[in-house]
Amino acid sequence: MMVTIVTFRDIFQSEAQEVDRFSEEYRRMSAVVFLDKSDAAKAGIKEGSNVLVESDNGRVVVVARISEDAHPGLAFMPNSPWSNRLVPAETDDTRIPSYKSISAKISATDDKVPTVEDLLRGMVS
Amino acid sequence: MAVCTGCSLLCNDIEVSIDGRRITRTKNLCRKGFGRYRSLTSDRPVPRVDGKQTGIDEAISRAAEMLRNARRPLLFGWSCSTLEAQRKGIELARRTRAIIDDTSSICQGEIVDMIIRRDIPSCTLDDVRNYGDTLIFWGCDPSSSHPRHMSRFSYFPRGEKLQRGHEEDRTAFLIDIRASPTAKILAGNFVQIPPGGDADLIDAMLAVLDGKIPKVRDKKAMISMMNTLKKADMGAIFPGLGLAYSLRGRMDRLKALVDRLNETTRYNVIPMVGHYNMRGFNQLLFDETGFINRVSFADGVDHGPMYSVVEASESCDLAMIVGSDPISSLPAGIAKALARVPLITLDPHRTLTTELSRVVIPTALSGIEAGGSALRMDGVRIEFDPIVKSEYPSDEEVLTRILEEI
Ligand code: SF4
Repeated sequence: MMVTIVTFRDIFQSEAQEVDRFSEEYRRMSAVVFLDKSDAAKAGIKEGSNVLVESDNGRVVVVARISEDAHPGLAFMPNSPWSNRLVPAETDDTRIPSYKSISAKISATDDKVPTVEDLLRGMVS
Repeated sequence: MAVCTGCSLLCNDIEVSIDGRRITRTKNLCRKGFGRYRSLTSDRPVPRVDGKQTGIDEAISRAAEMLRNARRPLLFGWSCSTLEAQRKGIELARRTRAIIDDTSSICQGEIVDMIIRRDIPSCTLDDVRNYGDTLIFWGCDPSSSHPRHMSRFSYFPRGEKLQRGHEEDRTAFLIDIRASPTAKILAGNFVQIPPGGDADLIDAMLAVLDGKIPKVRDKKAMISMMNTLKKADMGAIFPGLGLAYSLRGRMDRLKALVDRLNETTRYNVIPMVGHYNMRGFNQLLFDETGFINRVSFADGVDHGPMYSVVEASESCDLAMIVGSDPISSLPAGIAKALARVPLITLDPHRTLTTELSRVVIPTALSGIEAGGSALRMDGVRIEFDPIVKSEYPSDEEVLTRILEEI
């Protein structure tokens, strides 16, 4: 199922980021995607289960959260190294990356959520 | 009173009790600021060269040597450093004929540029508290990003001219795509738009101001909002990253709206700058070169998109990163390009960037372990003293020593 990923900043995640980017708490707050209830149902994704998010630029596994408010077609991710896996490296003339509007496919998965260390390994490979 | 460097509000009313290096009690910090204070004892890096732990002196000497030998160095970060450190950084860029850029290059740069050039009017947050009766938060969520913005300055406080505060004297609108925590606070005045819908909304707002029928679904709500905006004695617009990204390359649309509103009343713009001293870096570099970011000193002063962190990550042969974590905050493809060159990183914390750096120089946490000054998001200068003794040098000290060794 296709959605538009929009990144945002969350105060709890920002706090965890200030304290320790390698902590489990930071990963728990960052590696998530907030889905619309009906979108999640259509894609067979349940609250707390793992989701594979794939854009033209990359893929990442994060945990599904179902939003209270309806936002069909949109999915929200806290801005983090996990969401940055999906952001295009190509930019327009402004050279400002498209952080807030990424077309991506979501699907249920049994794959694991990567740790910061896993993400780092991906950077140097 | 201490200052919090957790965001660009630089709250200077923080009370802290300290026992040695341990903070035992704080007052007035928000959750994010408290995280910053807590980070004093968490995950500090050790000085490192080529993967091996060293002394700070050795790391500094190695950094100087690498900078001396680089042909096209990139100096990036800067928005979490004091003005004093930033000044040294610009000097270092000149001396090493480097490219220098800061985080504004991938966020609010276009808006800050218009403000510093006085293309759009701005004012201080104290003016907003005292006189700002009509506010627009646009593409931002201050409750999460600048948690004390609404309580210290913009929405809740009673101002000199606004004794009845938000209950009667102030109206605030939120324009955003997400029903954020701020949207819950401003529920009645939340204008929800689709992603990228900001330019269309501006067109609709301008249409109403021109007496035309706006092309939006809820025409009545739009006309009513514009009637309120027109009646302002002093209005303020707070653009966040949502607006900055949505209007990138088209900031003339924002200017058109602000100019039009200013034909009949007074509106000022204060961007919701994230890091505590991004505004300071932009002002300093502008004063020295005429540009707020993306400058190369390779041959005099040159400026352009090729000197943005996004492009320079591909073209540089060395990068020095100061108080920033681009490996975490850049799109992975660009971070990968940056990770290919030798990195020198100055940071108070272990970050994704320090993990991939050839040279790591741990630094003092400004506002807590290091003093200096910075410009708040509205350009007001805030000074601060260290409140605990640090075993780490400040960015300013490290940069001074690198300059001496070059
Ligand atoms: S609002 Fe910003 S400066 Fe003020 S206490 Fe919170 S993080 Fe610190």
